[in-house]
Amino acid sequence: MTVDRVLGVGAILTGIPVTAAAWGFGVGSPKSPGAGFWPLLVVVAMAGLGSWLIVHPSREGVVAAAPESRWGRLWIALATMTFYVVALDRLGFPLATALLLFVQFRWVEGRPWRSSVWIAVLAALVSFVLFRVLLKVPLPAGVIPLPRGW
Amino acid sequence: MDTIGSLFHGFAVALTPGNLLAVLLGSIIGTVIGVLPGLGPTASIALLLPVTIGMDMVPALIMLAGIYYGAMYGGSTTSILVNIPGEAASVVTCIDGYQMARDGRAGAALGMSAFGSFVGGTVSVVAVMLISPFLAETALKFGAPEMFALLFFAFTCIGGLTGKSRGRGLLMACVGLLLGTIGTDDIQGVDRFVFGTLYLRDGIGLVPLAMGLFGLGEILYNIEKREETGSVLETPKSLLPTLQDWKDSTWPMLRGSVLGFGIGVLPGGMPAVASLLSYAVEKRVARRPETFGHGAIEGVAGPETANNAATAGGFVPLLTLGIPTNSVLALMLAAMMLHGVTPGPLLLLKWPDVFWGVIASMYIGNVMLLVLNLPMIGLFVQILKVPYEILSPLIIMFVLLGAYALNNSTVDVLATILFGIAGYLMKRFNIEPAPLVLAFVLGPMLENNLSKALIMARGDALPFFFSRPISATLLTLAILVLLYPLVRAGWRWAANRQPAQRRA
Repeated sequence: MTVDRVLGVGAILTGIPVTAAAWGFGVGSPKSPGAGFWPLLVVVAMAGLGSWLIVHPSREGVVAAAPESRWGRLWIALATMTFYVVALDRLGFPLATALLLFVQFRWVEGRPWRSSVWIAVLAALVSFVLFRVLLKVPLPAGVIPLPRGW
Repeated sequence: MDTIGSLFHGFAVALTPGNLLAVLLGSIIGTVIGVLPGLGPTASIALLLPVTIGMDMVPALIMLAGIYYGAMYGGSTTSILVNIPGEAASVVTCIDGYQMARDGRAGAALGMSAFGSFVGGTVSVVAVMLISPFLAETALKFGAPEMFALLFFAFTCIGGLTGKSRGRGLLMACVGLLLGTIGTDDIQGVDRFVFGTLYLRDGIGLVPLAMGLFGLGEILYNIEKREETGSVLETPKSLLPTLQDWKDSTWPMLRGSVLGFGIGVLPGGMPAVASLLSYAVEKRVARRPETFGHGAIEGVAGPETANNAATAGGFVPLLTLGIPTNSVLALMLAAMMLHGVTPGPLLLLKWPDVFWGVIASMYIGNVMLLVLNLPMIGLFVQILKVPYEILSPLIIMFVLLGAYALNNSTVDVLATILFGIAGYLMKRFNIEPAPLVLAFVLGPMLENNLSKALIMARGDALPFFFSRPISATLLTLAILVLLYPLVRAGWRWAANRQPAQRRA
């Protein structure tokens, strides 16, 4: 199965619910187009292009697993980023960022313990000061107590 | 007062020490902020608008214009070095600029981008002052049908961005259009594809989309693929463009200047459209179009020039008609109002200092940016010498931070991560993200102008579009671009068929 065929089938399958939704928004007429008019046009074009790709797929990019994949690291990276979304408001920017960076340095990139810790803490603090103090972006301080006036 | 005299007056205003300092500060602040991923010109101006309130009117506007320029330039720098476009206009720069950086030619790409920006900006400033009254009139003739035709023409060029498969590129562009429909619709106020969430009612943000698909996708791909010790980016060989680079870039820069200015003065003619069209033009006229996408310097020089020319061109409708053509110029308009200046036909008469002072300062700003940025290239390129295992987590941090800083909300961070996963998959299966992102930007404007034009046409859409000379020309061009591969395929098919018949 080539990438083009997968994309083509995907485009046509996406078209079904979108068409239904567009109908719901009100398609209107070419004289007075409704909110569903444009999505419908786009979906018709998508289905046309999808069919074209199914009939004339290019040979490039056949789906195959990468030989030297480092799946484990990819999952760790994704898991820490997801953790970051949850932790940012609760733990605050400095702590959440230092943790994110530490896990990435230590387990995704395989750096030594000590340098992972200090680069993570330093980078989190420097970026916090840069954005919060100098650029006035209200990054959450969370559990870290702030000096007055920050 | 004649134009030359007025311009001298403008330089007299702009060259006072206070105003020179304003240009310098604006350019530096703009560049520094623009280099931070996720903070493009819109965010930079929005962040710094309050700072200028205490300043006098002319230096305040001059400084904001400098920030705009600087941030546009800074956005290109991150596109080239780490594949993260600072704003929509530098999406195209990612395609070849980042490839050049991977081949150890980051210095050449940055240098040509700086010089191209300078050329585009300069040509545009000269054009602004010579023909702005005349152009303001023409731009007024650009109604909804003309805008739709221009945007549609730009859209048809998107499919040619990738080269490998036009069909795949156009399909991705359609996905971008569809993503662009998410949110409350402009004309009818209907919520589309929001699934009951508050976040989606404002539509998907461009920054999470672009940073996710380009920057984060690239990083995730490298995490999975990279060898234990191997670096992804080669150490830069030289900091300056070679003689060949200069030769290759001369014409793209000249074409980019003209194209960029022409598009910049149109209401709705965004720098992103200019850079996209310039890329498409350069690829079409190139002697070796197959090098595009693999680090062709023309693909950096042309679009970067066009984007800056359009940036300066955008000041024409802003200053003469009071029409901002993009979100940054809308903020500039807000800044002018804040300082008690109303842009429009009366601006030239009532506040000549503002008009000519800002224009002259734009010229000085261009020179300053070039002088500031050429020596900085060495510094920026040092970033690539940082081991990738340190750089990669830091880029992730900056991307997520940039996403958070948009609305101070973790939902944007989550959106960026989701688009990052999508970008990783696209990279893995050889699908170029640029058509999707550009179509996402063009989509809402395409829809808006199409709806307006159709309402104006009262049912006779085709005769209406083709009875107006500008829209007829642009639509014909668009149709030719779309049909060209089909015609070519038809010829090939016929050519292959003839020998077969003879054999039979």
